[in-house]
Amino acid sequence: MLGYYTRLALKSFGRNPGLTTLMVLAIALGIAVCIMTLTVYHAMSGNPIWWKNDRLYAVTMDNWDPNQPWRPDWTGPPPQMTYKDSQYLFSSNIPERKVVMYSVDGVISGVGSAAPERVSTRLTSADFFAMFEVPFLYGNGWSASADRPAQPVIVLSREENEKLFGGSNSVGRTLRWNDHEFRVIGVLDEWFPRPKYYDLNGGNFAPPDKAYIPQQWGIDLALLNNEDTDCWRAEKVDNYKEFIASDCVWQQMWVELPDAASRERMQSLIDGYWAEQHKAGRFPRARDNRLTNVAQWLRDNKVVDNDNRVLVGLAFAFLALCLINTVGLLLAKFLNGATITGVRRALGASRRQIFVQHLVEVGAVSVVGAALGLLLATLGLAAVHHLYAAAHLGQRGGYQELTHFDVVGVVWAVILAVAATVAAGLYPAWRIGQLPPAVYLKSQ
Amino acid sequence: MLRMHDVSKIYRTDLIETYALRKFSLEVAEGEFVAVTGPSGSGKTTFLNVAGLLEDFDAGSYELEGTDVRRLSDDARSRLRNERIGFIFQSFNLIPDLNVYDNVDVPLRYRRLTAADRDERINSALELVGLASRMKHMPAQLSGGQQQRVAIARAIAGDPAFLLADEPTGNLDSLMSRQVMDLLEQINEMGTTILLVTHDPELARRAQRNVHLIDGQISDFRAYEPRAAAVQAAAPGASGAPGSAFA
Amino acid sequence: MSLGVRPILSALLRNRTGAVLVAVQIAIALAVLVNALYIVVQRVEKIGRPTGIDEPNLLMILSTGFTARYQEVASIEEDLSWLRSLPGVVAASAISAVPLSGSGSAGALMPRPGAPPTDSVNHMEIDEQGIATLGVHLVAGRNFRHEEIQPPLTENNASQFVPEVIVSRALAEHLFPHQNPLGKPVYDLLGQSATIIGVIDPIMGNFPDNPHPDWLYLMPRLPAPFFDGVHYAVRTQPGQRDTVLRLAEAHLAKSNPDRVVNWVRPLSYFKNLSYLWDRAMEIYLLTVTALVIAVTCLGVFALATFNVSTRTKQIGTRRAVGARRRDIVRYFLIENGLITSSGVLVGCALALAAGYWLSLEYALPRLNLYYLVGGVLALWAIGQLAAWQPARRAATVPPSVATRTV
Repeated sequence: MLGYYTRLALKSFGRNPGLTTLMVLAIALGIAVCIMTLTVYHAMSGNPIWWKNDRLYAVTMDNWDPNQPWRPDWTGPPPQMTYKDSQYLFSSNIPERKVVMYSVDGVISGVGSAAPERVSTRLTSADFFAMFEVPFLYGNGWSASADRPAQPVIVLSREENEKLFGGSNSVGRTLRWNDHEFRVIGVLDEWFPRPKYYDLNGGNFAPPDKAYIPQQWGIDLALLNNEDTDCWRAEKVDNYKEFIASDCVWQQMWVELPDAASRERMQSLIDGYWAEQHKAGRFPRARDNRLTNVAQWLRDNKVVDNDNRVLVGLAFAFLALCLINTVGLLLAKFLNGATITGVRRALGASRRQIFVQHLVEVGAVSVVGAALGLLLATLGLAAVHHLYAAAHLGQRGGYQELTHFDVVGVVWAVILAVAATVAAGLYPAWRIGQLPPAVYLKSQ
Repeated sequence: MLRMHDVSKIYRTDLIETYALRKFSLEVAEGEFVAVTGPSGSGKTTFLNVAGLLEDFDAGSYELEGTDVRRLSDDARSRLRNERIGFIFQSFNLIPDLNVYDNVDVPLRYRRLTAADRDERINSALELVGLASRMKHMPAQLSGGQQQRVAIARAIAGDPAFLLADEPTGNLDSLMSRQVMDLLEQINEMGTTILLVTHDPELARRAQRNVHLIDGQISDFRAYEPRAAAVQAAAPGASGAPGSAFA
Repeated sequence: MSLGVRPILSALLRNRTGAVLVAVQIAIALAVLVNALYIVVQRVEKIGRPTGIDEPNLLMILSTGFTARYQEVASIEEDLSWLRSLPGVVAASAISAVPLSGSGSAGALMPRPGAPPTDSVNHMEIDEQGIATLGVHLVAGRNFRHEEIQPPLTENNASQFVPEVIVSRALAEHLFPHQNPLGKPVYDLLGQSATIIGVIDPIMGNFPDNPHPDWLYLMPRLPAPFFDGVHYAVRTQPGQRDTVLRLAEAHLAKSNPDRVVNWVRPLSYFKNLSYLWDRAMEIYLLTVTALVIAVTCLGVFALATFNVSTRTKQIGTRRAVGARRRDIVRYFLIENGLITSSGVLVGCALALAAGYWLSLEYALPRLNLYYLVGGVLALWAIGQLAAWQPARRAATVPPSVATRTV
């Protein structure tokens, strides 16, 4: 019976090729716009480490100006820590893993005939790789003993390893970083979390750093953060020593706490430290020390902003429009073929059979429309990707990272789209079966 | 009033030429009640369309109230149809989404009339056909006979020069048919010319004069006895008092 | 002939479904059209703000020293004298950050020591050719002199201020409303003062997305290598930019082994990146709005065609009883007009509701009513236009249809 109905549906399409094409096109457009918008939205609102959401926490303390918040539209502590505060908390044994880090621009040279190249380098501590589950292609990270005193060890990103060593196993090779000799101990595999949740200060979708070295190097070489550094206090910061003792925020701190108990203990530790510092004259604002999980962190930092919500709203409005349009067109199409339907009813088809017959037709239109919509969305995303990539002169990072197809998400989107279209077709399919056959057997 | 002379209408396809009307001539005087009869395929519908200015013709001449119809533009024909001709169709052709009042109103809207004038005409037309009480009803709520009577009201509301009726009782049972024919006769008595197209000889007998069509040509003229005698013979129980049967 | 709207309306109300579906589409279309265009215009205006900078002819260069041998001041002097000597170069300056790039420095600046600090004010370090390189207008006062250009900050005096500054007019107006700012002192957070010696206007600094992108002060100082390295800005003659770019790239890459030239890029690259999202929003909104209108037109057209095709008998009958061709066209346009009007009416409410929600989310002023009126007129016209062809086709139905029995 399904095959028979499908044949009828195809015949019906052939009878009204113009109307059918327009219907399919309208559905396809609605679905394409939705898929494109939702892909971008999903990429923006994704939590790349969702399985660790109850273990990873960003540590922040509100050390800011008593007269104004860190930013006009911001509530809560600034997103980075001072050196003094992060170093103190880093010494605690409560967290299972802990990391304090920031990024700088370093110059890599001394590798064969390659020209010296400035690379964004992350100054971090040993737990970074395990905490954020960073995959290694060759070798591994350093252990805590290499953090202090800082050993000249370096981990390269896969891309950087391709560039410097042709992608071979470079563990053990040496290079110069800011004209100091470093030894490669690990090469990362493909890794590009979107968004860059562990450090949003350089752009929500900035590419990960190209090299990683122990954090103390930054202090030893008096290096400044290459992202945001914010200060509010009227204090003299003439040299690096004064800088790292100041109330300027420029470091990111994350801890891994396995359960609620350790979280509570960590929170007490921070609050206790706060009380002590507050008595000594620091932390003039109301106490606001936070341990924020990744999902909340992304929300607090407004990775998904109003514009995205507007776009998603618009996409759904458009889809709704297309579906309403489809209902109208289906009604018109079915009622136009009413005479034939009347004949079928006269020959004994029940209302239910007429309903199913027309529903199959709706289903066929939805499937074709959804397939076309998927194709259009793919082409559209590819075009958008190219446009953004061109604006970035081919470099990674930026909005072109958002245009990757998330297969699972897309499959869901298509299923929902087909379901929505079929739902839209329920009313016309029902309506055509309701009319008394006699009405349509006679002339109009 | 109506003068057709040697009117021919040809339907051409790629392969064949059909004469729907072949040198057809007819003269109708004011106040006459003429029936045009013939079997199906005889050209009755074509005659109807040509007489009613619904279609053009290929040869001959047609004068309506002295006006040569051929030279008229589409707009002028529409005007003539609106003001001088009243149509009554076999399948009533009421507009299903409009109630009785609005259906009768349709042709009046195409003229320059005040709302009061239209209202008066509609009311008196519906009075005449005996359906004044059903003004707000929809066509679907009326019987076939009632629908046809509304159509008649629509036809006469504009005070036409003549009525053109196409198988007016074709979709009605015998009782309703008789009611409709009585009404037509009544209207004719009030002075309106009526051209009735039908294949039913019984109906045709109620007219003053018959014109018989076969293959687009007139086959014979037959003038019947004065109508009153024919009515008494054919329809016992019908009375001549206007409006009385239809309260 | 009276319009006869009432019978058309009653007939329409008895057969509502198609009409309601189209009216809803029109309502959605109006809400989308009005609000999307409003947002687009906001973005266009944002991108079109005057920067005061000679964008099409500016190149930016970033150079980072990395060896112990690297000498900042000597390197800057060598690079700048080479750049300035190039044919096609109008001026070149060392500069602390790239204008319009979203990257740079800001700090508090006060008109009196100890006054409540302002919102963070963008500042840049330039040398004596900085004004000429950027191409900004000095509307009062004078440029920095060569002797006034301070050496770069070192690791020992990083919080030092400069003796004189040039401010933007908007900043001057904020600090010293309705006064002549020339000669007045301004203070940093530590109470150090600088004298205002010049005013520039218009100007946009490093941060186009900030609330006050035109609050800027310029300091006469060579940039320190602390942050990224040293930036150079190079202004070329019209049409020479790409040539100079290639020359600079080739030469500077090899002229000093103690530093790496990270990039030589046109300023437009940075500006485009800063506004990339806004431009993407514009394109997206315009595209989807166009699609919305197209689909709505399709709906109107389809309904009108459907109405005509299911009512041929009625059309024939009307023609038979005296309707002229244009009466038929008028009938369908009036019927469509009723649908369009009701859709537009509901659409107004929808547009206002959406506009209100958007103004809450964005802290934008509420929807300008001109947009609504314009949208209403446009959509009404579009709705009628889409029904024009079906209405014309209806008029071609011959009156003889009335007498057909099949």
